[in-house]
Amino acid sequence: MSTAFRPLLTTLARHRGVVGSMVVGESDGMIVQAALHVGVAGEVVAALAASLYRKARRSSAAAGFGDVGFLTLEAELGRLCVIGRGGLVLIAIADRGVNVGLLRADMLAAVEELA
Amino acid sequence: MTLAAAEGWVEGPMRQFIEDARLCHTLLLHPSGRVLAQHGFARSADVMSACALAAGIRASAGELGRMLDGRPFVELHHAGEGTQLYLAEVPTPRGQHVLLAGFGSESSLGLVRLYRAELADRLARAAPPAEGARAALPEDFELDLNRNLAVLFGRA
Repeated sequence: MSTAFRPLLTTLARHRGVVGSMVVGESDGMIVQAALHVGVAGEVVAALAASLYRKARRSSAAAGFGDVGFLTLEAELGRLCVIGRGGLVLIAIADRGVNVGLLRADMLAAVEELA
Repeated sequence: MTLAAAEGWVEGPMRQFIEDARLCHTLLLHPSGRVLAQHGFARSADVMSACALAAGIRASAGELGRMLDGRPFVELHHAGEGTQLYLAEVPTPRGQHVLLAGFGSESSLGLVRLYRAELADRLARAAPPAEGARAALPEDFELDLNRNLAVLFGRA
């Protein structure tokens, strides 16, 4: 891992249960930088999560709710947490054991570095 | 969604790909420029032109890649202001094919790349047994091209 977002991704990777974190282009769904455990399908998650975030933003705007804050998807075996700013999206992939509150706090702080 | 395929085995995989990736224009063609499936084009002349251009770009990019990187470039992306273009090779049991996909803000490069991989898997499953290597010989090319265009635009 190298360059601009390394400290941010390292912070997220320290959370117990986080198996991957990525900075991804919101419009193209392409990975800018990532820290992933072996076996995590980063490119696939990046493309789909960025798409999900874009759609959430549009849905929120259409409903008159303004900007999207923290987006979390709870699934049977894990959680996907997404937050964005300035055309970039920060994505955390975690198992069910993650402390979502702490992760959310760190992601909210980290998103300031995206812009 | 209007999709026309000159060969039946590509229709299902292409339909799924176009729906998943939310494309506005799509072509699947042989590297020679012979069209196999089209979506989003209204005129056969446009399909013929787009196929010729896509085949030319693919050939040029391949050579450029060999010169610069020792291997051909197999994916190209152009981020236009409104419509984006993605050109890539798709391997099938019947040889390499070329995919040209046009998409807008409903989709993204990441999604199109993701679903292209799934398209290749589906084409591999759908392909009938190979008939043996059949090159697009110069004497056959125009005949094949015109036949496929006629099938796609309901003139066959």
